Amino acid sequence: MVGVHHRIDPVKYPFLEESQQIVRKQIDSIEHFLSGFEGREALERAKERVIDALTHRGEFFQEDIPKLLPRIPPERELASYALARILVSCIGDRLLIERLCRYEAQRSVFLLQNEDGRSFPEIRNYIAEKLNIDLEKDDMPVVMYVELISQMRDGRWRLVNRDVRDGRVRLRPEETIDLLRERIRVVLHQKMPLRVPPALCDRIAPIADEIAASYQQQLLEQFGAVEEEAFPPCIGGLIHAITAGTNLPHMARFAITAFLHTIGMSTTEIAEIYARAPDFDPEKTMYQVEHISGRGGTEYTPPSCATMRTFGLCTNRDRLCERVNHPLSYYRIKKSDKKKQR
Amino acid sequence: MRPATLEFLKQRFAEYYRTCYLSPPSSLEQREWGFIFLDASTDVRMRRHMAFSDQRELVDYVRNMVPAHVYYSSAYYRTPAAPTMNDKGWCGADLIFDLDADHIMRGPYAAMLARVKEEAEKLIGMLTDELGFSRRDLSVVFSGGRGYHVHVREIAVRGWSSQERREIVDYVRGTGIDPAVMLAPAGGTPPAGWRRRYLDALREHLMWLRGLERDEAKAHISVLKGVGEKSAANFLDSLDRFIADLRAYRTDDIWRDRTVRAIAAAEIEFENRVRDLGARADEPVTTDIKRLIRMPGSLHGGSGMRVVPLGAGDLAAFDPLVDAVVFGERDVKVEMKAEMTTSLCGNTYALKKGITTVPEALAVFVCCRNVAEIAGEAADGS
Repeated sequence: MVGVHHRIDPVKYPFLEESQQIVRKQIDSIEHFLSGFEGREALERAKERVIDALTHRGEFFQEDIPKLLPRIPPERELASYALARILVSCIGDRLLIERLCRYEAQRSVFLLQNEDGRSFPEIRNYIAEKLNIDLEKDDMPVVMYVELISQMRDGRWRLVNRDVRDGRVRLRPEETIDLLRERIRVVLHQKMPLRVPPALCDRIAPIADEIAASYQQQLLEQFGAVEEEAFPPCIGGLIHAITAGTNLPHMARFAITAFLHTIGMSTTEIAEIYARAPDFDPEKTMYQVEHISGRGGTEYTPPSCATMRTFGLCTNRDRLCERVNHPLSYYRIKKSDKKKQR
Repeated sequence: MRPATLEFLKQRFAEYYRTCYLSPPSSLEQREWGFIFLDASTDVRMRRHMAFSDQRELVDYVRNMVPAHVYYSSAYYRTPAAPTMNDKGWCGADLIFDLDADHIMRGPYAAMLARVKEEAEKLIGMLTDELGFSRRDLSVVFSGGRGYHVHVREIAVRGWSSQERREIVDYVRGTGIDPAVMLAPAGGTPPAGWRRRYLDALREHLMWLRGLERDEAKAHISVLKGVGEKSAANFLDSLDRFIADLRAYRTDDIWRDRTVRAIAAAEIEFENRVRDLGARADEPVTTDIKRLIRMPGSLHGGSGMRVVPLGAGDLAAFDPLVDAVVFGERDVKVEMKAEMTTSLCGNTYALKKGITTVPEALAVFVCCRNVAEIAGEAADGS
């Protein structure tokens, strides 16, 4: 039997080491490559990848295949994978990077599922092995499992909901594909952002700017004007507590501030919320708000539902809470639901 | 604290540290250290961001400074003494669990210690039998106060972020259980881990309901959301069968029952029953990858007891009120600020307010807990 790796189409699985080898063999200078026609085509395709990652929602279907496997020479298609990663690294936005990794993982796994029945298990196991997980057995070690699923949202993946015995977690056959997708996503995320030489970032800045602009626009559409009625109950409760003059612990202040900042409120607007407190101290408040909003250099993301629970800040849970793992998702969904109702 | 009391404690602690063997943690040079001193007048409450290059240096420091509390980081750093967390260069951390009786119950000290020991047993059971950590990589430490710490030194989990650690602490606590997963019929092997515990808890709960008067049971369940008159009656009629099914871990019929689902979703008594089967480890401690934790072998300045390292198998026979006491029996005169009853080394003492003579070990204990002062001329002969 011919080794399975001979039957693997590299453009479907561009993250595999051997796929990247092909690019490396073809291109010795990126600078030179980008100035030629081939490079421009690859860069254009890279932009397409990122934009697609930004706009694509939900699953892929058969009709998406031409889009996922465009008819350009394999080495250019493979180069575009690497260039897309370089582009988002130059832009440096954490969410954008996450989107791209999720997209690439989803793309490859969808293409894998469309392999013929005989190749499918072989290729699946081959990729899994290359990514250091073992999907051939019906269970895996706890440590490997936890590393694999810790960022998966659905409650059924939580270790507490699994059949765990003797240090191993049982898996159902139909779950392996989800686990492989997640593993690809995590591996793709591990090296991000790539350390790109500033000269290269400058070189591709026009394309990066285009992407950044379209991303910005998308974010604005998503969050738009601040609607206090769409706040998740935990945040609403905390704001209520401020108004009532309750002395909130640090974590609570952090959660409110980071949340309000992320949905687009200015530091002044956030401070105004704190000003509802009877013992409002403008100077101290501005300092804290500015710090959390990133004036110190680090921009903080608001805590997830899990963290809110840990600190006892997850209050007045409602039905929508069951469906989300992050107060921001709650806000996003509630807002768009309200829009639909109008 | 009066100067005489401070001096007394300093001398007792100094004597302990002069003679004890302080066993250093692995990779001592990569740990950050923190100390709190007996003398509260020092400007900073805790002196931290300290590092030692070897055991000798550490022991010398402790002997010279005689701290009230000694902590080191569960984390390993490239530059542990760097003044900010960012500059330290995090390279990993032990997986730790904190069981603190304060978070579990209120009551007499001895009762709290007994209760928290049960939690420790449950925790160790889950970590080893279910999650598969080796007992060799586990150390259980009596905190010297009201609880136990469990350190897992398994190398494979050192690099874990808070997220992965949360999976483990949620598991041991039983946080995030999805009733639909627990109740879903699963053929084949008998259940293990949480599914087993969950179904056992449900069986006990149904048995409890069966023990109530029918009207009382009905009143109890019909307040639940989604339970009407008819489904409540159906449920009560099916109790015997459900309990028998649960004994065999069969859930095919049970999970379709509206009342069972309502109980699983929202009933507080049942929730408590399930939670009691978990080990109540303090969540933020486990998910914090930069935590300072008490050094085993040091003294707890709030009790004067020893922070005692134990093997996972030594826990059963361990009695903190005997085995963590390091001081002696000679008479010391103390002035109690209030009355108090406590046991130590197998004796129970009912201490009244005012001046009284007690064994040295008890004097250290009450002074550390700030319920007494050394009375008049030091009676300890120093």
